[in-house]
Amino acid sequence: MEIITHRLPLTAAQLDAILNEIPVAYAKPTDPQCSTAIRPVFRKLGVLVDMDEITDAAAEQKDKDNKQQTLGKVKVNAKTTQSQSYSCIQCRRQLPTAHLLDLHITEQHDLYFAASVERGDKPMFACYIEECTTKFQGPKERKDHCISIHKFPTNYRFDQAKAPKHKSHKQQQKAADDSMEVDNDGQLPYIKAFSFGHLTQRTFNTRKESKNSGKALLDVQAMKDALEEMN
Amino acid sequence: MELEASGEVETAPQAASLRLEDTALRHKIREYAKHQRKDLRTNATDALRFGLGQIRDEIRELENLSVKDVHGLAGRIKRRKHATTEDMYRLSHAFLQSNDNINAFAATQGAVQVIVKELTGTNVQRQIDAAECLCNLSLGEAHVCEKITTLAGSYLVTYLNSQESRLKRSCLWTLANILASCQKSAKTLLQMQLATKLWKLYTSDVQDYAEDAGICLHLIATHAGSLLPAEDRRYIAEHLHEKQPTQPGGEYYMYIVFQLNLVALESKLCVSKLQHFIEFLSSSELDYNNLKQQLPIVYGVQVLSNIFATLSSSELNQQMDIENLINALNKLFLLGNANLTKDLLQLLRNLMDLNLFNKEQLLGKLRVYDCPISV
Repeated sequence: MEIITHRLPLTAAQLDAILNEIPVAYAKPTDPQCSTAIRPVFRKLGVLVDMDEITDAAAEQKDKDNKQQTLGKVKVNAKTTQSQSYSCIQCRRQLPTAHLLDLHITEQHDLYFAASVERGDKPMFACYIEECTTKFQGPKERKDHCISIHKFPTNYRFDQAKAPKHKSHKQQQKAADDSMEVDNDGQLPYIKAFSFGHLTQRTFNTRKESKNSGKALLDVQAMKDALEEMN
Repeated sequence: MELEASGEVETAPQAASLRLEDTALRHKIREYAKHQRKDLRTNATDALRFGLGQIRDEIRELENLSVKDVHGLAGRIKRRKHATTEDMYRLSHAFLQSNDNINAFAATQGAVQVIVKELTGTNVQRQIDAAECLCNLSLGEAHVCEKITTLAGSYLVTYLNSQESRLKRSCLWTLANILASCQKSAKTLLQMQLATKLWKLYTSDVQDYAEDAGICLHLIATHAGSLLPAEDRRYIAEHLHEKQPTQPGGEYYMYIVFQLNLVALESKLCVSKLQHFIEFLSSSELDYNNLKQQLPIVYGVQVLSNIFATLSSSELNQQMDIENLINALNKLFLLGNANLTKDLLQLLRNLMDLNLFNKEQLLGKLRVYDCPISV
């Protein structure tokens, strides 16, 4: 038994003899022999943020705002940088990816989609993850799927169902399904989500309401008067 | 003078339009230069990456931010329910400085949520700042990474499809740090079909993110290969041919294929890619002293060896260009590395067992100079 070190290559017979000594084998990644093999090195690294860049960006934003003001254009949202995000041309909602924008346009502004959902013969709501091909009958099923399967947070920021139009659509669908029911016991309970100020602000907004309610009262009074005149 | 002589005298409106064109052109050039400067600056900043605590050694003039400062900043952003770019800048630096700062911030209830809120807001600059802040926060231990994954994992994965390059890159860096720290977080991220998204970036024609995506994929293969969902594994196996050895991050390719055990789990798809594997191996750079170049060679040989061990001859016959394989093997035998030669002999043994080729003819073409196996 000795190690062969040749300057000339091994002959076919020598090689054949060596190969006959070796058994056929499959190397598993979990084999201890493989674990000693070389592995790519990884070191956790952070990123050094440059303050100049932040101030530059802020200055750039200010310049843009000033330009808009001097040109007399209507300022849509001074805080928003729209160049790199996908925004809906109809409702100006901004979404971070093409897939989410696609879902938004289909679900919020496509009448054909709405009709198909109303018909309810096939699942229409695609998952928020582009790579997931599963489709659902309604946004609630999709949300449940995203939370349970994809481990999304319950208050996913880009949830399409949060838009008010969708709610009315859902209500329409519900009305179509249970047209004979009068009470709304079947409605989902309101679940308070942790929103960190993204949703509606809670403030005392009584003045506006009182104005409106006053107007409404006046309208009712005017209607009563008109009815009396008619009688 | 010449214009006048030839009778082509410029009229006032013509001159005005020319002036306008000049201004437009000058404006365009200025805009182009500005963009280029910005791109170059971004590239320069990208290079500035630091490990935990390393920044203190490198930059002495740095403001020393303590746990008390972090508590103050966390309280401030919580009160305001909003973090300014300056707040996030200071937090980013504090996280780079020490693990205590990271733990202090992670322990403050509701503080990470404010950063997540900025990450998902409408201002792109603040989204980038928040992503960079989370990237530095992910330098922390497993429990911190778990918190980031629970609160921001879905957004980090979503932003991999964003148009904003710096945001995308910061998300990739953060994900890499998380994948390296915590298996539980890796499992959660994999459930968001992260692996498929990463493979798309890894093999994309736009190769700016291929290196970072490759790093994330190799971390998944190392720490969470067994947790990879079946549909993601299948997607990767179906699209194995899309990565070329010369592309950025190509060195991780064979390691990923081997560690994900694709040959055993997706054997039919792998055998259809056999020719691609052989080409990948034969075109790898043969500098065995360089770890980066060692990876595709070592794991490429293992992958091919496993394919030959798993499959029947009828499946293999049509797929293989044997001359190309022999050339590749001869080049590798020439390197004279004992461990590599052992693996190559194993590959040959598995191939011989298939009885596909004339044994004497095949062995006669091979040039094995130094054999570490005793007879």
